[in-house]
This record gives sequence, C-alpha cells and structure tokens, in this order.
Amino acid sequence: MTSDRSPVVEARVLSKGFFGNPVLKGVSISLLAGRVHALLGENGAGKSTLINLLSGALVPDAGEVLIDGKSTGRYDPKAARAAGIAVVQQELSLTAELSIAENIGLGAYPLRLGLIDYKALRERAAEACALVGLTEPLDMPVGDLALGRRQMVEIAKALYRKPRVLILDEPTSSLSAHEAGVLSGLVRRLASERVAILYISHRLDEVRSLCDHVTILKDGIVTADQSLSGVDGQSLVRLMVGRDPGDLFPPHQTNKAGARRIAVEGFAAGMVRDVNFSANAGEIVGIGGLVGQGQEDFLLGLYGAIPASAGEAEISGRPGLATSVGAANALGLAYVPADRKKEGLVLTHSIAANLILPSLGQKMKNGMRDRGAERNLIASLAKRLDIKGDTGRAVQALSGGNQQKVALAKWLPKTPSILLLNDPTRGVDIETKREIYLMLQGFAAEGKLVILLSSDTPELVHLCDRVLVFSEGRVVRSLERGAITEEAIVGAAMGLERSEVA
Amino acid sequence: MNVLGKLMRNPPLLTLILVVAVLVIASLTLRGFGSYGHLRYIMELAAVIGIVAAGQTLVILMGGIDLSAGAIMTVTAIMLPLLSPAFDPTGLIGIVVILAIATLIGFLNGAGAAWLGVPPIIMTLAMATFLQGLLVIVAGGSAVSVTNAAVIWLGQGRLFGISASVILWAVVSVAVIVLIHRMPIGGRFLALGANPVAAQLSGVSVTRHTLIVFALSGFFAGVAGILILGMNRQGYVGIGEPYVLTSIAAVVLGGTSILGGRGTYAGTIPGAILLVTTTALITVVNASAGWRSIMFGTLILGLLLISGREARSR
Repeated sequence: MTSDRSPVVEARVLSKGFFGNPVLKGVSISLLAGRVHALLGENGAGKSTLINLLSGALVPDAGEVLIDGKSTGRYDPKAARAAGIAVVQQELSLTAELSIAENIGLGAYPLRLGLIDYKALRERAAEACALVGLTEPLDMPVGDLALGRRQMVEIAKALYRKPRVLILDEPTSSLSAHEAGVLSGLVRRLASERVAILYISHRLDEVRSLCDHVTILKDGIVTADQSLSGVDGQSLVRLMVGRDPGDLFPPHQTNKAGARRIAVEGFAAGMVRDVNFSANAGEIVGIGGLVGQGQEDFLLGLYGAIPASAGEAEISGRPGLATSVGAANALGLAYVPADRKKEGLVLTHSIAANLILPSLGQKMKNGMRDRGAERNLIASLAKRLDIKGDTGRAVQALSGGNQQKVALAKWLPKTPSILLLNDPTRGVDIETKREIYLMLQGFAAEGKLVILLSSDTPELVHLCDRVLVFSEGRVVRSLERGAITEEAIVGAAMGLERSEVA
Repeated sequence: MNVLGKLMRNPPLLTLILVVAVLVIASLTLRGFGSYGHLRYIMELAAVIGIVAAGQTLVILMGGIDLSAGAIMTVTAIMLPLLSPAFDPTGLIGIVVILAIATLIGFLNGAGAAWLGVPPIIMTLAMATFLQGLLVIVAGGSAVSVTNAAVIWLGQGRLFGISASVILWAVVSVAVIVLIHRMPIGGRFLALGANPVAAQLSGVSVTRHTLIVFALSGFFAGVAGILILGMNRQGYVGIGEPYVLTSIAAVVLGGTSILGGRGTYAGTIPGAILLVTTTALITVVNASAGWRSIMFGTLILGLLLISGREARSR
C-alpha cells in the first residue's frame, strides 16, 4: 500500500565501526511517510548505531543519508532536526528539575523580545501533552513523575517539534499497559497524518499489531526488509537470531517447596501497605501490575534499602525485617536493580571491580585482599555467565545484556538464598533473556527463593509459581500456577474482575 | 605515539616525570638547587603536604572534600604543647592525645555528612570556621612554643641522614597505598565515590565509610600538624591554613578525579613534591610570590587538559 511513495529519509549502504569493530555493514533503510516501520534486532545488532546515524549524532564511515531523495552533504543533529527528524531515546533525556512544559520545549522555546514566551510555550506544550494523554499540571517538575510518565513527556517533547519522521527507541519498555495503549493509538494517528515512523521494540506482539513494515538487523547486516503482513512471531525471531528459537521461555519447572524464607504480615514500605506475604525456598514468585504501583518499594523494603515496617516478620528464620542493606545481605538477600546504569553498576569501574564489590573482603590473605584468588573468582564468574572479553574493561563498554549479567553475577559469590530481581530483562536482547530465564530456574532448583518483579507479563506467566499483582501499593490478587495468564494479571492490575476470588 | 598515548592516560606517571624534569633542569641551571641539603629540605616540606593530602586523597576518592584539614593542623599545632604533660619526657602521651582529638574532629565532620546529610564541602567549611574561632579564644594572638621531645625529633631529627619527617611520610605512603589498593575498604571508598547508589545497594554502608574516611582525614591532618609544629618549633593561629588548598592541589595534580571514584595516592606523592619544587624554584629565582599561584593554577589546569580524563569519562 506504500510502494509508490518516495522515502522521506533514506539511508544508503551505511557502514560504521568503532575502534576497528564494524557495527553496521552496508545497511540501507527507507522511511516512508505514513508508514510505521519496525526495526528489530538483538542488542548489539546495530540498532542504536543506525538510529544515531539517522539522527546525525554519528557520522557514517561509508554510505549516506538522503532527505526527500536529496543528498545531505554535512549531516549533523542540526541538519536532522531541520529535516524534521525527532528521536525518542531509550535513555531519557529529561531534566528532573525543570517542569514538564520547560522540558518539552527545551532547545526550541518560543521567544518574545529575546525572552522565553511562557504563554506560547504552555499552549504548544499542552497540545503535545494532550496527544500523549499527559494530564499532569504543566508546571510540575519532571522529577516528580513516575518513570512511565516521564517516557510520555519524552514523546511529547518529540511531538512538540512537529516531526515528519519520528524514531521511537523502545518507547514502551517502561510504560504501563494503559500508557502503551495510548501510545499505539498515537502512532496510528501520526501515521495517518503522514508522519514516517521508525519503531524499535523488543516486544513482538506490539510490533506485529502496530507496524506495517519491518527491517531486521543481525550483526550489522539487514536480514529482512519486508512487509509485516502475514509474518508470524516465530519467523521474525528466527531472522533476528539466525536459528530456530524454539520457545523463548524454557518449560516451567516446579520445585519441591523448601523451608520458609520470608513471612511478613502487615508489611509497609514506601507506598506499600498491608501486604501479607510468605514464600519458600525453591519458588519463583512474580510481582506484577502496572508500572509504579509500589512493586519496587516492596523489594526495597524487604532489602532494607528504604524504611519498612511489619506487624509480624520473619526472614531466613530470623524474626524481624532487615534494617539496612548490610543486614539484608547477612540474611542472604540480594537485590538486582532495574536501572542497572544508575543503581546496579559502577559504570566507570571495570567489570572485575563490579563483580567483586559485594564480596570485597571475602578473599583475604595476611589481612590484605588476595588478588590472585580474586582474579580466579572473577574469571570463574565471567565464565559461568558467559561474559566475554577482558574483565579489566570499564563495564560501561558492555552491551545492555552483558551489563545485566554482571549486575546479577556479582552476587553469586555471596551465595544468596533470596534473590530480589527488579525487572532483570528490561532492554535486554532475546538471547540474554533466555540465558537469564534459565539462570532463574537454576537458582530456584538450587533451593534459592527468587522474587521476580517484571513489567513483561509473559515472563511472569511462563516462569513463576505464583504471581502477586500490585495496585496502589496493595496486593490486589495472588495468582497460583495454573491460574496465571496474561489476561488474569493485566485484568487484576487494571481493577477488573474484582469479584472473582483469586 | 603509543607510548605517549599511554603516558597521557597515566596521570601519576605524568606528574612524576614532570617533577623529575623540573628537578633536573633546576639543579643543572641553578647553583645549589640540586645539593643534597636542598633536596632534603624540599622533601621535608613535601612530607607535610603529602601527609595532609593522604587524608584528602581518601576523602576525594570517596567523592567528598575536606576543607577543615588546615584548621585541624592548626588545632594540633597549638594544642599539643598545652596537652603534653611535664612528667612524660618522651612526649608520646601528648602526641597520642592530640591525634585522638584530630581524629575526633574528623569523625565529627563525618557525622555531619553522614547523619545530618550536610554536604562535605559545607560541613568541613563550617568546621574550619568553628575551629578558627575556638583557637582565637584559646590561644589569643600569641604563638605557642613546643618542648615536646618526640615532636621536635619528628620535625628536625634524622636517621642515617634522612629526615624523620620524610621517613614518616614514606610509612604513611605505604599504608595509604595498601589501604586503597589492597584492602577491601579501599575498593569500597572507590565504589562509593563513583556511584554511591549502586555501592549502597551492593551492601556498602555509606554512613560507616563516611565516618571512617573523615576520621582518617582528621588523623592525617593531625600528623601533619605535629610535623609542622616540630619544624617551626612554634604553633600559631593560621599555621595550617595554606595546607587546605595545597593538599587539594596535590591530589588533583596526581590525577585523582575531583569528582571521586578514580585515582591513587601514588599520584598525590609526586603531586606534593611538584608543588614544593615549583615554590622553591620561584623563591630561588627571586620572582614574586604571585607567580607561584599563577604557576599552580596553570599546572593543575594543564595536567587535567593533557590527560583529558574528566571529559572522557563523564
């Protein structure tokens, strides 16, 4: 249906390498007005690099970017903006202290007599907000918004510039189901207004329902550039990973229930209220619900990282809650944060330094760190988790998936008995997801208790023995294996079927 | 090219080479500059800076700063004579007592930063101001002379022709380098300096390490205060003041990131020597003291730009 139109943006045989490693090898892509174009590929396949080339943030080693069929000459971010290209980055680029309106207009404030025209700014920002369904007051600081809402501000910021080409890099990874729905509607509407859209996502269902056309990258090469109609998820995955994926999720295993690890009654922390919860060794317990309903506070409260209280509490056989992270670690708890760049890892330090951090002081000789033993430990961790290359490199040089593996692996030397995982597969490529799923099952089989908070509902369905659904800080439903379906989780999260006894 | 590139990315070595170059050139061109006596004198002065900067290095590695180090030196230098009992001919009791006080002051800095949440730059500035006021009241305007035998030996004694202060500095250097690179606590300081949230979630206690690092900084400022008192034989209000900025300069010259999380005391050592050497150079050629400050500023900025490390990593 789009064959006769000429592309708004066209990349011709782009190549780009970093430090001698080719990342893109002769990639071509055409974005057409009114078409929703999906870009798929595992992490490290070259998606981010391609986006950066299209937005002028990087200069290609070979090939060129054409706008409206014309050669661009010197193509930089300014030229890209002038051509009407707007990018919604996966990493949010908002300023927490500025208001919603100020963030949306940043860099393109309407001026009057050389000063910011706040009235015009408000009007135009309000328009953009209405498009994405943001109802928060425009003068509210962005720092006060939940992650999902910030993502919507980011999208509004792109729309504010009235783009002709909108590039969305994993826009739904932090959105609730409702917000994702609003976004889908918006994308369809923009497409009908003849905006060209490039949509990057790890969620295949979303891509298949929303996009018309797909380009798949694998190791820097285009493996598919075709219409999406009539293509099923299996074959898309096959084109990304280059082999038959089987099932993304390993078959579910039920372990024999072990000793009780956690039992809390009347638990409260942050926005969490009145939670009664108990779990045993060998279980994988899922935590679901819309984004920002207190799930994270629940984990942080158990971990002693934020103040928490409970009527009755017992952790690892000891009465009472952990009052500090150190105490939690001593009770066998380990926590892997969702935001691995800010909370999970010391990005500027080496892979080795990150892997050894929680267990510093475990390997000692004559009162000093035993460097030899530490090196062996690090090497064995890297091997066990298949983290390739020199562990002396800064951890920020790794891809998202490998960073996540480091954030998980660093706890293994402490042999934790309770793992609190906060969205461990967010922004992680399929291959690494599978590895992580298998690891989680392995942990449970070893007799660890795994508490898995996830914004990816299928993950909860396939991996968990039990799922708690949170809403407004309370557990609104507890689903047992067999009753765990995507519909049940999403329904409970959105307040449906309250009459039904779970 | 490759060697040069590597050198540029190794600030401690860069600073060391600069120090050696300055010393060699000055010794060859200026008569007496390279004599053993003069070099020993330079090292004695560098020892004082180096020891205050030991605490400063630790604090800065953890992402803080200690503006009270100079005031703690002054407190030590003025109060030590008052606290050395006459019945103790060695003077060791006085030293132990005053070091405990210096450590306690540092601990209070840490308490303000950790428990009250006051940013270290404000906490230590307030502490410095407070201590200066206290000293004016206690000591008035007069200088205090020292008779403590141990202090005088540390300031002026020698062992096999090497100054006691330099030997003390060597001991401090080994201890601090081991602490940073071979003890768990050093790894934790660095992690806290680079990303306090991630470090805390990895089980590193921010409170505990803030208390420890400021107490250590107080302790080292106390040691430096004892040295300067021993060298001068007199303590007076303001004696430690110049050492606040000098110690920070030595740390930064040594390639430690002022933002925390990266660096080593092995860089601070040549940093301290470089500061003293350039001062001596300016004095010997009889230039205005203004040139000294101009040169320090240029050096700090220049070394930062050459290695370009701040820009690369943030």
